[in-house]
Amino acid sequence: MSTIHQALSSAAAKAHALTGLAQAADGPTPRTFWMPEGASTIAPGVDHTLDVINWICYVFFALILGLMVFFVAKYRHRRGERFRTEYPHHNTPLEVTWSIIPTIIVIGIFVVGFRSYLDIYTAPKNAFDIKATAQKWAWQFQYPNGAQSDDLYVPAGKPVRIVLRSSDVLHSFYIPDFRVKRDVVPGRYTYAWFQCDHPTGMPGKDVRDPNAATVDLPLGEGQRHALYCTEYCGTGHSKMNRFVYVLDEASFAQWMVDQSQWMDKIPEEELWFKAGPKLFSRCSQCHSLDGTNGIGPSWKGIVERVKGYDFVGEGRKYGTWEDYVRTSILVPGEYVVPPYANAMPTFKGQLNDKAIDAVIGYMQNLDKLDPKTGKLLPTLDPQTAQPATGAAK
Amino acid sequence: MTTIPLPTSGPVRDTIEARPESDNYLTHTRGVLSWVFTLDHKRIGVMYMWSVLASFLLGGTFALLLRTELLTPGPTITASADTYNQWFTLHGAIMVFLVIIPSIPAALGNVILPIMLGAKDVAFPRLNLFSYYLWVTGAVLCVVSLAMGGFDTGWTFYTPYSTTTSTGGVIPVLTAVFILGFSSIFTGLNFVVTVHKLRPPGMTWFRMPLFLWALYATAIIQVLATPVLGITLLLLIVERTVNIGIFNPQMGGDPVLYQHFFWFYSHPAVYIMILPAMGIISEIIAINSHRSIFGYRFIAFSSIAIAMFSFIVWGHHMFTSGQSALLNTLFSAISFSVAIPSAVKVFNWVATLYKGSVSLTTPMWYALAFLFLFTIGGLTGLHLATLSTDVHLHDTYFVVAHFHYVMMGSALIAMIGGLHHWWPKMFGRMYDERLGTIACWIIFIGFNMTFFTQFMLGSQGMPRRYYDYQPEFQTYHVISTIGSYVMALGFLTTAVSLFGSFFGGHKAPANPWGGRSLEWQCASPPPFDNFAKTPRVGDCYDFSVVRWDEKTGGYWVDESADPEVNPAAAPRAAH
Repeated sequence: MSTIHQALSSAAAKAHALTGLAQAADGPTPRTFWMPEGASTIAPGVDHTLDVINWICYVFFALILGLMVFFVAKYRHRRGERFRTEYPHHNTPLEVTWSIIPTIIVIGIFVVGFRSYLDIYTAPKNAFDIKATAQKWAWQFQYPNGAQSDDLYVPAGKPVRIVLRSSDVLHSFYIPDFRVKRDVVPGRYTYAWFQCDHPTGMPGKDVRDPNAATVDLPLGEGQRHALYCTEYCGTGHSKMNRFVYVLDEASFAQWMVDQSQWMDKIPEEELWFKAGPKLFSRCSQCHSLDGTNGIGPSWKGIVERVKGYDFVGEGRKYGTWEDYVRTSILVPGEYVVPPYANAMPTFKGQLNDKAIDAVIGYMQNLDKLDPKTGKLLPTLDPQTAQPATGAAK
Repeated sequence: MTTIPLPTSGPVRDTIEARPESDNYLTHTRGVLSWVFTLDHKRIGVMYMWSVLASFLLGGTFALLLRTELLTPGPTITASADTYNQWFTLHGAIMVFLVIIPSIPAALGNVILPIMLGAKDVAFPRLNLFSYYLWVTGAVLCVVSLAMGGFDTGWTFYTPYSTTTSTGGVIPVLTAVFILGFSSIFTGLNFVVTVHKLRPPGMTWFRMPLFLWALYATAIIQVLATPVLGITLLLLIVERTVNIGIFNPQMGGDPVLYQHFFWFYSHPAVYIMILPAMGIISEIIAINSHRSIFGYRFIAFSSIAIAMFSFIVWGHHMFTSGQSALLNTLFSAISFSVAIPSAVKVFNWVATLYKGSVSLTTPMWYALAFLFLFTIGGLTGLHLATLSTDVHLHDTYFVVAHFHYVMMGSALIAMIGGLHHWWPKMFGRMYDERLGTIACWIIFIGFNMTFFTQFMLGSQGMPRRYYDYQPEFQTYHVISTIGSYVMALGFLTTAVSLFGSFFGGHKAPANPWGGRSLEWQCASPPPFDNFAKTPRVGDCYDFSVVRWDEKTGGYWVDESADPEVNPAAAPRAAH
C-alpha cells in the first residue's frame, strides 16, 4: 500500500520535473464546436494546432470561393454575346507566388503539428504503467498490484502509460477527451500515454445502461471520459467502448487495493450472485440468458445441454459438465460445438479459480436471475439470494 | 455586345455535314454481338459507362442502407451488427474498385481520349476489350462472393481480421479485386502507349488538352502502383488459405506490413481517382469560360508532380499504427508536399474564370460544385497530414468526411460533370439543361448535409465503422442521413434528365459548348472511325476562332481564322 503511494508520488514528481507540464488549475477545457472536452495535458496543444489549421482553412476557403463567385457573376456570358478576348494566359510571378505562399504555410503547419506530436508520442520515463489487453470485444486493464478492471481507472496529476497488446486482431485505443489514440497490434506492444489533472470521481451508474451491473465500491458522481475502439474488429466493434475514471491519488491507491481483493471477501457460496453478475457483463456480448443465441450459445438451459453432450460424462473426454465449462473458458477452441465458430477469446490469466467457480454457480442458478439484466431477481434478498421475507424489509 | 455574323460555310463543317447522319458508331453495325465483340473504343467506353453506373446504383443503395441504419443509436433497420458491417464493406469495395477507379479513365477516357488525339482508336483495341471483360469478371466475382456469404473485412482487408473472419466471400472478393487490378493496369498501359504514339502532327506534349495530361499521369500510376495491390492480395489469399504467416504475428509475421503494402497501392489509387477528375474540370472550366486555361504548364506539371508525390506518402494512413515516430514525421512532411500542386490547380482554375466569358451550363455548375467541394476536401487534408491532430482524428468520421469530399464530392462530381459535358457527343442528344442544373444543386446541397456534419462528428470523437453510437452524436447523424436522401433525389433527377434526352431531347450539335479540342470537331455522335482524315491541330485552348451558329444551336471552329492552322489568316495581336 505505502509502496504504491511512494511509487505514484515519485513518478509524478519526476514527470513534472521532466516535462515541465504545469498542473492545470481550473478543470478540463470545455467542449467547443469542433472539439470535445479537453481533459489531458496534451489537449491544449492539439487544440491549438487544430485552431491554427482551421483559421488557415477559413481564410483560404473564403478567398477561393469568394473569388470564384465574384468572377462568375462579373464575367457571366450569355449565348450569342461576343467572347472577351483580352485576358491573361499566364502570369509567372503570380503563379510562383501562389506556389511559394502555400509552401511556407504548410511548412509552418508541419512544424506546429510536429512539436505537439512529440508531446503526444514521448511518454515520461517513469510514467505509471497500466497494461491493457484488447480482445474481441472487450478491454481488460491490469494494474501493478494485480488488480483488474473493464473500465480504465487512472490516477490524476500523473503521467500514465498504457501498455497495449491484442490477443486477436487489430484494435485501437482512443480517448477523445484526452486526444490520445494508438493502434493495438497483435504480436507487438504499443504505448499510449497521457496525464489528466482533473479527477472525475467514481462511477455511480452506467449511463449506457442504468440497470447494468456496477462495481461494488463506494458510489460517487462525476464526469467520466469515453474510451473507444477505433480500429474495425468485427461484430462487437461498436460495443467495444468503456469509460475512463480519473481518481485523485489517495482514492486511486485505495481503489487499486479494493479492486484486487474484491472477490476475496465474498464467501464461496455467495460468489454466484455477488460476483457472477459482474463477471457475466463480460460474457454478455456473445451469450444471452433468455434463450436467444448470439455469437455464442445462450446460457439458458446450458447445464442440461452440456450434460447431454456425448463427450461429457464419466470416462469421456470431459468427466463432468463443469470440466467442459472450465475448459471452454480457459481454452475455448479445444472443443467447439457446431454451429458455433471458434470465436471466443481465452480468459486464461484473467479469471482465477474463484471467478470460474462464480461463473459455474451463476449458470446453475439462472432461474434466480433476471434474464434481461443478468442480475439477481428483485424479489430476492440481495444479501442472501433467498426470497425476501417481506416487502416491508 | 454584338452577335457574330453567321458564316455560311467552313472547311470543318463541310466534313461533318458531308457524312450521312445515320452513320455513327452507335448505328454503324447492329446487333448484340456487334457490341459484345466490338473493338471500337467508343463502344467499349459506353459499355464501361453503363456498367459503372449500374455499380454506382448498387454501391449507392448500400450507402442509403448504412445511413438509414445510423438514424438512431442501436438497431434501426437491422438488428445485426454483422449485416451492417457487410453493408459498409460492400459500399466501400464497390465504390472504390468497381465505380470510381474505372469511372473516368475507363468509361469517359475510353470514349474521349482517342478522339481528342484525332486518332481512330486506342493503340491496342483488343487489349481494351479484354480489360473490359476483366472488369466484368471482377464484378461477377463480387456477386459470387455475396452468394458465398459476403465479406465483412472493410474495403481495406486489414489482417489479421481478414484472414480470420468466418464470412465466406473473402477469397472470391480478393480474387475479384486482383482481376479488377489487371483491368486497370491494361487500360493504363493502353493510354500510355496511345498518348505517346498516336498524337496527331502538331500536337506536342504541351499542346495536349489537359484532360489528356491528367489521363496520362493517371495511367502511369495505374501501371506502376496496381501490381503492388495484386501481389498484396495474392499474399492475403495464400495467407488465408494455407496460413504461410507473412502477416500472422503468431508465426512471426506482421500485420503492419500488410498496411504498408496495401497503402503503397491505395494511396496512389486516391490519385487514380482524383487526377482524371481534375483533367475534366480543366476542360469544363476552360471551355465554359471561353478563354485559354490560365497557367497551362503549371496545371500540366502539377498533374505529374501529384502523380510522383503520390508514391511516397502512403505512411500517412498509419500514424497511429505503431510505425516509428521518425517515419511518421517523414511521411507527414512529404504529405504536405501534395498540398502545393493541388492548391496551384485550384488557383489556376479560379484564375481561368477571370476576364473569361462564363457560360453557366450544366457541366459548368458541376465544375463550380467541384471547386467548392474539392477546396473543402483538400483543406481538411491539412488536419490529417498534421501529426498531432491526425492522432485525434484518425479512424473517426472526420476521415470519412474528408475522403468523401475528395472521392465523391470531387472525383465523382467531376465524373458526373464530365458525363454531362460529353453526353451530347456520346449519344447525339441534348438533355434538359434546366433539369440538369437543378439536379446538380440538389446533389450539392445533399452532399454537404451528408458529409459536412461528419466533420463535426469525427472531431467530437465518433469512431468510424460503428453500428451503434452514443446518443450525443444522434443530431448530426440524423442530418447526415437526411442529406443522403436528398442526394439520392438529386441523382434520380440527374438520371431523369440524362435518360430524358433519349426521349424527345433535341439533336445535339457537333460542338454544343464551344470547345476547341478535336472531339468537338467531329459529329455527335462521332462516326465509326472518328475522322475521315487526320485533322489539323490548333491551340486547343484558343477560343477566339470559335463561332456560334444559330442554325445548329452549337458552335463551330473557324480554323481558317487561326494562323497556326491557316497561315494565310491575318496574324492576331499578341497577348
